[in-house]
Amino acid sequence: MQSILCFFFPATMTVVIGFEGSANKIGVGIIRDGEVLSNPRRTYITPPGQGFMPSDTARHHRAVILTVLKEALEEAGLKPADIDCVAYTKGPGMGAPLVTVAIVARTVAQLWGKPLLGVNHCIGHIEMGRLITKASNPTVLYVSGGNTQVIAYSERRYRIFGETIDIAVGNCLDRFARVIKISNDPSPGYNIEQMAKTGTQYVELPYTVKGMDVSFSGILSYIEEAANKMLSSGQCTAADLCFSLQETVFAMLVEITERAMAHCSSQEVLIVGGVGCNLRLQEMMGVMCEERGAKLFATDDRFCIDNGAMIAQAGWEMFQSGQVTELEDSWITQRYRTDEVEVTWRD
Amino acid sequence: MATGGDSNLEAGKLEFSLDVPFPSSHEALIALRSLSPDQEPRRGGISKQLSVSGSTLSVRWSADEARILRVSVSSFLDHLSLVIETMEMFGPSLLCDAAQVC
Repeated sequence: MQSILCFFFPATMTVVIGFEGSANKIGVGIIRDGEVLSNPRRTYITPPGQGFMPSDTARHHRAVILTVLKEALEEAGLKPADIDCVAYTKGPGMGAPLVTVAIVARTVAQLWGKPLLGVNHCIGHIEMGRLITKASNPTVLYVSGGNTQVIAYSERRYRIFGETIDIAVGNCLDRFARVIKISNDPSPGYNIEQMAKTGTQYVELPYTVKGMDVSFSGILSYIEEAANKMLSSGQCTAADLCFSLQETVFAMLVEITERAMAHCSSQEVLIVGGVGCNLRLQEMMGVMCEERGAKLFATDDRFCIDNGAMIAQAGWEMFQSGQVTELEDSWITQRYRTDEVEVTWRD
Repeated sequence: MATGGDSNLEAGKLEFSLDVPFPSSHEALIALRSLSPDQEPRRGGISKQLSVSGSTLSVRWSADEARILRVSVSSFLDHLSLVIETMEMFGPSLLCDAAQVC
């Protein structure tokens, strides 16, 4: 009976296109009811020893965004008319790249006559992680170049249980990579992870957990100085420093995640954000989870690293729950906390 | 619709104005709505007013310093080019006239 009804009244599928460009990645992804139809992305890669500046990053995004958008539509085999909603990153992130991406999203939404939806970038990571891993109500560790937060859902908010009090863990890794001139291709964190595998000597670094929060700026200053002294005198190798830095900062992250789980009686951990594809972090988190009888959920680089589909997925949830963003309210914001968003799509 | 600071020039302020022709008011309004949500920072020493009259998008700047004005105008032109390119690639009609401004 049901199949006959479906034949006569096919359930309409909702298609959302998502634009992401809050940092050095620019991505456009298309989601149709939980299915990723396309998710192309480009990364602005700077020479070793250099970070990415807002205006240069925005220039990169401007140069490629329309090509990436075209790819997303072609790969999905869709026409603009098939799209139901245009989602874009409202914040947090770098101002100039955010504006660039928002302008294209606003323009296509008007050209195609579709509603617009501004999405919190952190919520995008969480919802994409939940979609891909099927974790139902996990404690979330969100770790990237710009953010470090331990999050759990309660009463219509993703609440921040612990976070960095200065720089993000990924920023600490990226800046250490610059000091010892590690390549930024495909990402500094990936190259640190590979080098760390050959490290043999553990160099003791400050361990800075402050209650539920963490601090990384002191560790960075310390290891910068250690690198200058110890590498020139041959006391340790660059690989040893990569290894020691990873072990120290990941142990801190596992500690605060475990404490948040204890507070919430949670039996699931989900790791999201660019640093989340680091296999050593996943391994250490896995050991902690096993000891507690909990389950670890993680994704690979396609969905951990910033991408358009994650904005489409969070946008899909928001759109289904009745939200849209009027054009005049579609301004971007560099600061936009995870817990500012009312989660209208979960019980 | 072109109003704003035209008649009341504030003392000591630099003024700059730009008129952008579009094929029709439809495109001009799309550009207006795409480019106006992000305001100049408050107390940033600059203000910017966008308006549409017929098929023309008009922008007027008022700034404390030439340096600040240059940054804002330059970034506006980058954004305007992007809007026009987006219309050309993903809009229903070709926008040959508007393309001349970029």
